[in-house]
Amino acid sequence: MSREKETTLYIGPQHPGITGNMMVKVKVKGDTVTKASVEVGYLHRAFEKLIERRNWLQSFTILCRFCVPEPDPMELTYARAVEQLEGRIVPERGQYIRTMVMEMARLQSFMLWYAGQSGSAGLYTLGQWSVGDRDYILNLFEDLTGGRVYHMYIWPGGVRRDLPKGFKDKALRVMDYLEKRLDEYDKLLFDNTIFQKRAQGVGVIPKEKAIDWGVVGAPLRGCGIKHDVRIDEPYEVYDKLDFIVPTHEGGDVWSRAQVRRIEARQSISIIRQVLEKMPEGEYYNKIPNPMKWSIPAGQAWAKTESVRGEVGFYVVSDGSEKPRRVHVKGAAYTNGVSVTEKILVGQNIADVSFILNSMGVCPPEIER
Amino acid sequence: MSDLIKENEILEQIKAAFQVEGKVSSERRTEVFADKTQVSSILLLAKNQYGFKHLNHIACIDWIEENKFELVYILYNHKTGLTLLVHTKIDRENPEMENIDTIWDQANTYEREMREMYGIEFPGLVGAKEFILEDWEDTPPMRRDFDTLNYATNTYFHQAGREDAQDVRTTISTRSGEEIPDFAKKYSRDK
Amino acid sequence: MMNNKNSQTVAEYIKNWSRKNSLFVMAYGTGCGAIEIPPTMTSRYDAERLGISGAATPRQADVLLITGYLATKTLKRVIRVYEQMQDPKYVIAFGSCTINGGMYYDSYNTINILEKYIPVDVFINGCMPRPEAVIAGFQKLQEKIARGDADNGTRYKENLEWYRSNQKKVIKNWRMPDYNW
Repeated sequence: MSREKETTLYIGPQHPGITGNMMVKVKVKGDTVTKASVEVGYLHRAFEKLIERRNWLQSFTILCRFCVPEPDPMELTYARAVEQLEGRIVPERGQYIRTMVMEMARLQSFMLWYAGQSGSAGLYTLGQWSVGDRDYILNLFEDLTGGRVYHMYIWPGGVRRDLPKGFKDKALRVMDYLEKRLDEYDKLLFDNTIFQKRAQGVGVIPKEKAIDWGVVGAPLRGCGIKHDVRIDEPYEVYDKLDFIVPTHEGGDVWSRAQVRRIEARQSISIIRQVLEKMPEGEYYNKIPNPMKWSIPAGQAWAKTESVRGEVGFYVVSDGSEKPRRVHVKGAAYTNGVSVTEKILVGQNIADVSFILNSMGVCPPEIER
Repeated sequence: MSDLIKENEILEQIKAAFQVEGKVSSERRTEVFADKTQVSSILLLAKNQYGFKHLNHIACIDWIEENKFELVYILYNHKTGLTLLVHTKIDRENPEMENIDTIWDQANTYEREMREMYGIEFPGLVGAKEFILEDWEDTPPMRRDFDTLNYATNTYFHQAGREDAQDVRTTISTRSGEEIPDFAKKYSRDK
Repeated sequence: MMNNKNSQTVAEYIKNWSRKNSLFVMAYGTGCGAIEIPPTMTSRYDAERLGISGAATPRQADVLLITGYLATKTLKRVIRVYEQMQDPKYVIAFGSCTINGGMYYDSYNTINILEKYIPVDVFINGCMPRPEAVIAGFQKLQEKIARGDADNGTRYKENLEWYRSNQKKVIKNWRMPDYNW
């Protein structure tokens, strides 16, 4: 007979270890979790209802705020869905610039992930280093688009402005610097016995059930299944570039961290290739009058790969100047709610925040 | 049965088995328009025999003019790279749809959200009634007949001087007493 | 050392000086603006040289940062957390969503004007405010404390009826203390 009573704990919206503004309600017996449920809704702004009241161009200001740490994949997926409906073709230089912006957004999100994952294990130095180095990429974004966090740079037909003068040299210098720093982060995190012992065998996703449960992104590649939207349904110029998509067997926090570690280096190599191969020419296929712009009726579905997984937009138009329906599937929608509730059972309560960081749960994507 | 690798092969097989309409909308994408009662059988067939093991998304659209809701189930096959979209329409007055929780676990999240936002009933769905909203007593908010600006003005304090659909050029010129410059006159809302 | 214009006593001056130089910010990221807090606290725009650091629970914190819009579900938790903080306490509001509703003015789930629900000391505008703007906001708060003007807690207690009636209009299921004993 166990002398431990089952109690309910609210790892709630105000907590230093939770990723964003959400709540995880756990039932614990002693130190072990017996049941978990994820409650979201603290950040609900009714985006999809607001988009129905604005016209096609005004909804751009709303789209970037769907996912706060990495706003660019949302803009790109919306632009691709609208181009599918209209039949608009993006010129080649525009496609190269879009790919570069996506990879830069992915790289700065990896830096934030380093801070979160090591901070929840108690290793705080890495967070100070990586968030400080992330500012170099935000400086590049500021030169290119004018804003540090929300860019509103990619729209249907291409991008809004061309690269400024001297951008290529600055970007290549930043990439050289970051590559050296990533080796230092490895020494702090992956060669550290504390992290190895805490991460191996924790939060396991069984390989045969992963696709059935709807796991996407780095957790799926950490189970040994090679699936990435950039190689399965290539968009923009990913089919002309040379990069690998890593996998790792095991399905625990350690394998997911190994996958992300290699992907960060691949992002740097992709940015270098894009800057070298970029052609001259037009960067934008002009919209005749953006203030009075209507899209032919139809329905479109577009997918891209963000740092958390696949992002999908289902856009419906009825021929008028306002979108009829934009239904968004964020990457953390399945990863964060149903899969996390299953893998938290049986874990230590000190590992709840650790596992949330590793699954990449971002609440604004789930509840929009 | 091995995975079919052609879009029109899948279309022909489903048409033969269920007598539904369909088309191949673009490269590697098949669309099928089915009746409400046939949907779960099509999904089971696609999952077990054609290899569409991944449920990407369930989308919901409110067609208030036709008095119907439209649901779209999007499936994906990792090995062949094909996408299958299954459309269906349900009645808007008493909306009810079959629960496909038993086929895919993740459909639970989608169906809870649709129950809250549109009012569609899924018999046999487990989970807390409130997923995103808290203490909501009005009509389901994503329906087209719910006016969100009206609700927000009545419930929350509204800042004075804020009107809808202002043309920012005329506002700036009235406030500062200047003419609209030439570069700002390039695009117009009237043409 | 003494400011003749305001004629504070030496004890008051020392009290205000020590309060403004050690502000403990509570760990609660309520909205979008929380993405610019890690850069403010780390090595580039170091906020710790001004004495600002983090606290884990409301009982140990001085400053509450409302970083952006507030959904009604979060507003209920923010009120509870705000009432658990002890005097003297300060509230800083980020972004244009707290001033007039921002771009979500027609949303059925977000509140528009934050001043009506809890008292606010400093507003920082922007979307989102840069880390330099955040540090400027903290410095304005420090000046306010040095003058002796920061009376957030007393304002709340004196006008409790008004704040409560505004809050109850928005939050329907009120299961929180009423202070009517």
